[in-house]
Amino acid sequence: MMVIFEKGFALRHIGHLDLMRTMQRALRRSNLPIAYSKGFSPHVQLSFAAPLSVGIVGLREAMDVPLAEPVEEEAFLASLNEALPPSLQARKARLLEDGFPSLMALVAASRYTLEAGDGPNAQAALAQMQPFLTLDTYMAMRKTKSGEALCNIRPLVQEAHQEGDKLHLVLKATPQGSLKPGLLMKCLCGMADVEEFPFLAIREEILCRDSGGKLVSIEEYVHG
Amino acid sequence: MRDPIEALLEKVEKPARYTGNEMNTQVKPFHQAEITFAFCFPDTYEVAMSHLGMKILYGILNDLPYALCERCCMPWVDMRAALKKEKLPLFSLESRTPLHMFDIVGFTLQYEMSYTNILEMLSLGGIPVKAAQRGQDDPIVVAGGPCAFTPEPLHAFIDAFMIGDGEEVIVEVTQALLEGKKQGLSRQERLVKIASIEGVYVPSLYEASYHADGTLQCLRPLVPQAKSRIKKRIVRDLNAAYYPSSIPVPYTQIVHDRIMLEIMRGCTRGCRFCQAGMLYRPVRERSVERLVELAQALEGNTGYEEISLSSLSSGDYSCLSELSQKLMEKMEQKRVSLSLPSLRVDSFVKDSLAETRRVKKSGLTFAPEAGTQRLRDVINKGVTEENLLTTLRHAFEQGWNSVKLYFMMGLPTETLEDLEGIAKLAQAAVNTYYSVPKEKRMKGLRVTCSASVFVPKPFTPFQWCPQDTVSQVREKQQALRKLLAIRGVTFHWHESTVSQMEACFAVGDRRMADVLYRAWELGCLLDGWTEHFHYDLWLQAFADCGLDPAFYAHRQRGMDEVLPWDHIDAGISKSFLQREYQKALKGETTVDCRQGCQACGLHKTKGLCEACG
Repeated sequence: MMVIFEKGFALRHIGHLDLMRTMQRALRRSNLPIAYSKGFSPHVQLSFAAPLSVGIVGLREAMDVPLAEPVEEEAFLASLNEALPPSLQARKARLLEDGFPSLMALVAASRYTLEAGDGPNAQAALAQMQPFLTLDTYMAMRKTKSGEALCNIRPLVQEAHQEGDKLHLVLKATPQGSLKPGLLMKCLCGMADVEEFPFLAIREEILCRDSGGKLVSIEEYVHG
Repeated sequence: MRDPIEALLEKVEKPARYTGNEMNTQVKPFHQAEITFAFCFPDTYEVAMSHLGMKILYGILNDLPYALCERCCMPWVDMRAALKKEKLPLFSLESRTPLHMFDIVGFTLQYEMSYTNILEMLSLGGIPVKAAQRGQDDPIVVAGGPCAFTPEPLHAFIDAFMIGDGEEVIVEVTQALLEGKKQGLSRQERLVKIASIEGVYVPSLYEASYHADGTLQCLRPLVPQAKSRIKKRIVRDLNAAYYPSSIPVPYTQIVHDRIMLEIMRGCTRGCRFCQAGMLYRPVRERSVERLVELAQALEGNTGYEEISLSSLSSGDYSCLSELSQKLMEKMEQKRVSLSLPSLRVDSFVKDSLAETRRVKKSGLTFAPEAGTQRLRDVINKGVTEENLLTTLRHAFEQGWNSVKLYFMMGLPTETLEDLEGIAKLAQAAVNTYYSVPKEKRMKGLRVTCSASVFVPKPFTPFQWCPQDTVSQVREKQQALRKLLAIRGVTFHWHESTVSQMEACFAVGDRRMADVLYRAWELGCLLDGWTEHFHYDLWLQAFADCGLDPAFYAHRQRGMDEVLPWDHIDAGISKSFLQREYQKALKGETTVDCRQGCQACGLHKTKGLCEACG
């Protein structure tokens, strides 16, 4: 079952592993017929489309819940939401047919909104967005699975536009990893030569490429 | 990010420690409660949320229609610095209310080395640290838990202590303080009012005097309402007692992240070093039916995937086999695993081993405590080498490959031979593993030996004994390190300076409050965390107060000496402790109370003790 859920403001500090554990426990509380893994410590094997970093709100996150038997989508949604806290709620549930590709393999990009606030540092950093887009390369240290590596992050920024104190972004996901909004903001601060400042990052949706190569939300992709 | 606390959360490590809002937490409207209670745990969130007592009392208080209870933990160093920098008070997890706005602020005292955190939490919370400086509108600061049995080092900071089982007394105190609040009583009047409740000790109603040699002369009540002895509270029937059927489920990983099922309170073994074994007497069991019912409710409400049975000696629970079978039956479908901790060597039966593994393999832990039979007889740890090795053999045959062995060093009468005994036992464990045929045993043996330092604890037969000095302990640790250089064996030991401070507070009198205050002023904090323990600062605090740690930790106390905890009645008689001490010195053992009442003192109230009837 593919589930689209919101990780709200109050829970933005929960890391990926903690979120996974929270979901597993909620599924257990819900008494839904979930499938357990085999072996010494049987558990619910959830797979998330794209892990969300600590501190970021996710409005339409996606995960795949293995079921032992099919459940009607609306009933699934109702049972799960009853077991979930108010700031972690499922929005949609869709049964996936057997053999459907893993959600993670579908992810092409993520759409973010960054609420930077009206502080002087924020203004200075946001003003660097356009100059950044004119560059061909921007090298930055990115955390990877094996430590840190210098990497050109410019091609990972697919779209960016400013609207008041907000920055709307589409950041690409590649097999080598994705760009985190925090790193982009850090680079903008570096370009503006100002100190980093706290801001709120919201992932609006996870995007996939449809057969025509167009970026669509993972819900639409699965739906269509 | 305009909310100042939200802004702080962006800057600290592990912000989920401070966010609250976990599943099953109780959020009541703060201003509608007639009386508010801040349950404070003087250690980090991960430690606090692992504590069963807090969950019980949190549930009890929030079930009272007129009361509200919220949690508060010791902030980690980064959060503490951020709060100070932004001049924000320490706040509760549920409604983020500053501590000083609560009517009652209650601390649970689990460990002596968390005392500086209490002073810090009060200070951060905007409450005068010293009880004498608190005014009419400041909260009443109370404390309970095992260390409340030895309250004197905290007498200057805590308004009232609750001694013994907390389930009933915490309600009585809350109720009395609500009445006092409604009647508009002064702070002093409210304290005198609760002093009349059984099990409540209000230290400001007493005065201590000392002999020229520094020993206690007497503790004199100053008002007629101050009882000469404070009797510990005992919950008689655990089946009738409150137990939560729902507990908060943290978002972030904590130390014990599972359902804890308290199957029994008290212990009948009579190990002579063990304070818990004496303080929690008499032994009382919860019924299998009640436990299964609780386990099902807790599983359903939390979604936890693991249950552990909790007590001082779970192997002694009279229906352990029936209980684990029933729990397994009910929980199999949801793949809940069951772990049986603090199992003693001699109670560990083969079939219960098999059952534990049916769902999940949990660690094997044994506490022989001493290396030779002679010393085990002295401390009355009724475990033999044969017991241990037989059990280990079974376990290795069943596929276990790692085992933890706990020892204590510096026990009364210990010699080099006893230390050598520890190494011999570890070697025997290794040999036992290799004696199991290769195809039957699991690869990769790990034997972990941990040796803590003996701390003389009040209300035990060893309460009069001196602790080894810091240098004596270090020599022993070095010797043991060499002896335990065995393949497959890892050795862990405790810092002896921490154990010395622990001893000073365990047996300390009112003057230790000055040392504590001075140490806190000097910057001591989070002393239970090795990287934050500063022995030099503690020694300076002692010196600044004109006191010597040796007077407390390394001195043999006289049998006729007035002890700083003599006014606390733990139900155990001094003559029983003296008897046990004399037997210890002669190496004589005492049988488990289930095999014959030892007249420890609790037998005087008929029908109280389930072991002696």
